[in-house]
Amino acid sequence: MATLLTFAAAFAFAPAASWQLTDKYSVRFTGTGDVGGIFKTMKGSIAFDDKDLAGSNFVLAIDVASINTGNGLMNTHAKSAEWFDAGKYPQIKFTSKKIVKSGANYLVTGDMEIHGVKKEMILPFSFQNKGTTATFNSTFTINRSDFHVGKPGGDVGESIKLEIMVPVKK
Amino acid sequence: MFKRLLLLGFLSGILAGIAALIYQKVYSTSVGADFSNIAKPVGIMIFNVIGCLVASVGYWVLYKWLKEKTEIVFNFIFVILSFGSIVGAIGAKLPLDVNSPELFPGLVIPMHFFPALAFFTLEPLFIKISEKTKSVVA
Repeated sequence: MATLLTFAAAFAFAPAASWQLTDKYSVRFTGTGDVGGIFKTMKGSIAFDDKDLAGSNFVLAIDVASINTGNGLMNTHAKSAEWFDAGKYPQIKFTSKKIVKSGANYLVTGDMEIHGVKKEMILPFSFQNKGTTATFNSTFTINRSDFHVGKPGGDVGESIKLEIMVPVKK
Repeated sequence: MFKRLLLLGFLSGILAGIAALIYQKVYSTSVGADFSNIAKPVGIMIFNVIGCLVASVGYWVLYKWLKEKTEIVFNFIFVILSFGSIVGAIGAKLPLDVNSPELFPGLVIPMHFFPALAFFTLEPLFIKISEKTKSVVA
């Protein structure tokens, strides 16, 4: 009996499936006016099982210095102390706390840390599972002033849309 | 004179285009960044020839109006416009999959001065001194 209980317990506390990020990810941002670009470098760990959301989690970190707006001067300006201050805050981090199902997709609640400011955010995402590979997609909007990125007003709007696509493999 | 000016424009455009293509090759080899998909060789030649032809027409229009003062005014305008044209190069937004966009201005900004350089180089072969000044007869 004890053996049986131990055996069952091992399965009850089995972690959610671990996914490895491939290098085909895309982190794209757009804003009003001519604002837009990508972040080229992202690292992290994803443990996700759509049947075990409680055991699932995301820990992702984007390298701020990998920003590319298509223009060298804009890139330098974006990394400067006036905006992202890449030297002082080299990463944009997201650490999940809770994942729930929402219709056909999911909502992840977690801490978003940008420019040294940490805020709890709820982000929607979809999950396409193809067996040994899968793709996470998320589109959401953040207010840059909430994270003190750039001065309020000006040519760059407050609302920045992010589109993240992360292909993963087991 | 107009036909000579058009020939000057065409040939200086070709010369500027060849110089630009050589510079592009040297630059991409030295910095290890290839922007030939953005600044395409055919486009470089076309823009240089069109630029110099427009300059020729501008010279002819100025000559009709200013006569012996044409050269100094034309040279000044051509150089000012060449400097002004680099603003577009500095502010250009490249496709996001292009690496090292900060190296792009270093490629294209010098190219913006090649048409003026080629035009000034070949101009003495096409425009007689008598047409520039009243006092010297060719």
